[in-house]
Amino acid sequence: MTKLLEVTDLRTYFFTEAGVVKAVDGISVSVEEGKTIGIVGESGSGKSVTAQSVLRIVPRPGKIVDGTIRFDGEDLLAKSEAEMRKMRGNKMAVVFQDPTTSLNPVYTVRKQLTDILLLHKGLTKDQAGKTALGLLEKVGIPEPESRLNAYPHELSGGMKQRIAIARALSCEPKLLFADEPTTNLDVTIQAQVLDLLKQLQKEYGMTMVMITHDMGIVADMTERVTVLYAGKVMEESDTTTLFTQPAHPYTEALLKAVPSVAQTRSLEVIPGNIPNLIEPPTGCVFHPRCRYAKDICMRQDPQWEKVSAGHYVACHRWRELKLEGRS
Amino acid sequence: MRKKEERRGASQWAVAWRRFRRNKSALIGTAMVAFFILVGVLSPYIAPYPPRSYAPLYEGVAGQPPSFQHPFGVESSGIDVFSEVIHGTRNDLYVGLAAAILTMIIGIAVGAIGGYFKGLVSDVILGVTQVFFVIPALLLILLFARIFLQLVFKGLGLTLIVLILSFFGWSGTAFIVRGETLRVREMDFVQAARSLGADSVRLLFRHIVPNILSPVIVITTLIIAGFILTEVVVSFLGFGDANTTTWGLLLNEGFSYIRTDWWVALFPGLAVVFSVLGFNLMGDGLSDALNPRLRE
Amino acid sequence: MIPVFLGVAMLTFFVGNAAGSPLDLIRIFLRNPSPAVIEALRHYYHLDQPVWLRFLYWLWDLLHFNLGISTSGRAVTDQIGAWALTTLELQVISLLLAVVIGIPVGVYSALHQYSKSDYAITTFAIFGYSMPTFWLGIMLIIVFSFELGWLPSSGAAGITYNWGGNVVLDWLAHLALPVTVLTYVTLATIVRLVRANMLEVLRQDFILAARASGLSERAVTYRYALRNAITPVVTVVGLSFGAALGGAPATETVFSWPGLGFAFARAAGVLDIPLVQGITIVITIMVLLANLITDLAYAVLDPRVRIE
Repeated sequence: MTKLLEVTDLRTYFFTEAGVVKAVDGISVSVEEGKTIGIVGESGSGKSVTAQSVLRIVPRPGKIVDGTIRFDGEDLLAKSEAEMRKMRGNKMAVVFQDPTTSLNPVYTVRKQLTDILLLHKGLTKDQAGKTALGLLEKVGIPEPESRLNAYPHELSGGMKQRIAIARALSCEPKLLFADEPTTNLDVTIQAQVLDLLKQLQKEYGMTMVMITHDMGIVADMTERVTVLYAGKVMEESDTTTLFTQPAHPYTEALLKAVPSVAQTRSLEVIPGNIPNLIEPPTGCVFHPRCRYAKDICMRQDPQWEKVSAGHYVACHRWRELKLEGRS
Repeated sequence: MRKKEERRGASQWAVAWRRFRRNKSALIGTAMVAFFILVGVLSPYIAPYPPRSYAPLYEGVAGQPPSFQHPFGVESSGIDVFSEVIHGTRNDLYVGLAAAILTMIIGIAVGAIGGYFKGLVSDVILGVTQVFFVIPALLLILLFARIFLQLVFKGLGLTLIVLILSFFGWSGTAFIVRGETLRVREMDFVQAARSLGADSVRLLFRHIVPNILSPVIVITTLIIAGFILTEVVVSFLGFGDANTTTWGLLLNEGFSYIRTDWWVALFPGLAVVFSVLGFNLMGDGLSDALNPRLRE
Repeated sequence: MIPVFLGVAMLTFFVGNAAGSPLDLIRIFLRNPSPAVIEALRHYYHLDQPVWLRFLYWLWDLLHFNLGISTSGRAVTDQIGAWALTTLELQVISLLLAVVIGIPVGVYSALHQYSKSDYAITTFAIFGYSMPTFWLGIMLIIVFSFELGWLPSSGAAGITYNWGGNVVLDWLAHLALPVTVLTYVTLATIVRLVRANMLEVLRQDFILAARASGLSERAVTYRYALRNAITPVVTVVGLSFGAALGGAPATETVFSWPGLGFAFARAAGVLDIPLVQGITIVITIMVLLANLITDLAYAVLDPRVRIE
């Protein structure tokens, strides 16, 4: 299977008045065509910025300072802005977290969908309108004709997110980034939206990157997972192994923080706060919050080591630790 | 093993103060304001001549352009411009600050009460505020000044102007305070306080008002600037107190001498520009400091 | 809106009344009017009636476009029309220029935040709304009319400055300085506002989403960002137009511009109450209309405020 997306040692820094924020500091991640991977981490771990970097829409004052990004065999960082624009929304797309802010409040649903269709597909206005209608049906919106002429503020959260998904998929992209697509939705709607994504992925044969902090979604939707913390990768593995045999203390802590009906012990909280990305901790970036931290963790950056086939980790002590997973 | 976390004040005000300190233009503005306040306070001691003094006439220097002895020049009538600008500083600052304070008091009271209570009280207050908002304020200020200034004692002229300015100036503030009160009123902590037995007055003053202070502080600073400008217009048109030196009065005299003594119009005007600029910069700085909009 | 107008009318009437009976003032103008004239005037002004009844008579007259007789003897309505048009001429032209220049400059400033040109623009703007409009007028007159002799210093049309007999050029020459002054001050507010709103809107997710969809920078800036940023600007522009109308006296006086503001300053000075009241009412109506237009424009631009 070919790798559709290959990000190697990406570094994206934000040059702010307060200092240089190292949002993404040496992240490598890849996806095979047609598969779904998960990128997991807390807020501030660099998950969204990674997606923005691939599309090269990192907002100012951010800049990609190092690394390579290969998509479908091409070097994305070598492309001109005009070439990138042709790919955005067309070959690769993003669904954002909050549909209330990711849809333009002053344009109708039809306009927002047809804008993109007209841009990339060269359709006439009529054709675009019909396609937009079809898209709304596909994402399961009832009474699509009337919804087409509605404004975002007239619709519920779940419907807005469906429309955002329709917009992202309008040109049948090869790669879809779903950045916390259900975090802002009601719990009952969350499952519907996730099912919709799964269904559409199968239908379009898309490659999907699920960005989330919710391990439950990871278990449900992904085949491989990359765990991020403070702009660096902590662990990477196929989903089952990550859950049953985690190799990194952070992964273990994330798993322990997810409630389950079966467990009887109390939920554990990861102590401490997200680190300062302007002056990250020395050595292993997770050491201030790690219950297993030793002297070496404070002094030295851990290496990227192979645990088993397709399972990698960045931790000094992974061989000695017996971490708890879940089934 | 862990780095010792610095102990820093994390209250809303401490954070805002730190941001303010880092803002260069805000600091420049504050320095300008401080400078003018200093000049105003010390005016009787640093001005070469008493207010409205024609002494230079007897010194034979009437109508002279700026020189070393008379840095801002002398009017044809004999009034030393430099001296008058200094005296004017005290008076204009007085009007600006006093009117701003009075306006804020009225505006907060009306806005908070109108925003907090529902029903007829709120509607009536809204209506009254709207009437005062739509009135061409300057026109009525001029009219009031013309009518009432002849009735007051000498020396109270400025205070009357302060009252008139506030009388027509409170509506803008009242609207903003009303909006903020409406917003805060619906917040959870207000419901919580009410459920714990707080009555309306207590709720209003101990819970709601402290939470709307941020925009209020910003507005106060900015309306000082506005009131100074308004006073200048009023005096310029000849509707102010002709016995009290204000920058507007000087500009009025400067306008009469526009063809011959250009310095009379220039320097008081510059004083206005820089004092108002100072308040505006300060106000902007406060606004930035209290309402951070940085990306995370 | 009607109750507000009535409120303003009441305020104007009673304040004017407090200035003194119109009779006393007319006496001054007419020197030695005969008792018959006084009696006729007394009847005309309903001075034998209680105050509130006089208010109603006045209001009735108002609604029939009769604004009374100024103490100079002429009917108020005679002159107000011409004055109003002259003031509007100045204000509308300045507003249009300020908007046409201000919006692109504000957008440019926002897109190039922290650059040197941004600082220059922001400084230029902040001086603009820190200075008394009329003072800038005085300064420009000194420089351009007296020192350089290029432009006329007063009036809306010239006697001495009839530029080669060309009426249009003459009109433009007279407009030049007042318009420059008013435009600069309005521009300052607009640039600042557009810049601030653009910066705010550009941080929003839908801008990122628009870029992620492959839209060009131009489309993102104008159709997505500016389109959302402009609505509050419309409100402020509308409000400040109203304020400018009411603030015209000083600028018009400096340029001897024969508009409502200049007329008001003269009228209030001599306590020509009917004229004062008339001008106040006319300006209030203009302000109310400006607010109405602003509200409508806002509803057109922002679908969120429309009544379903």
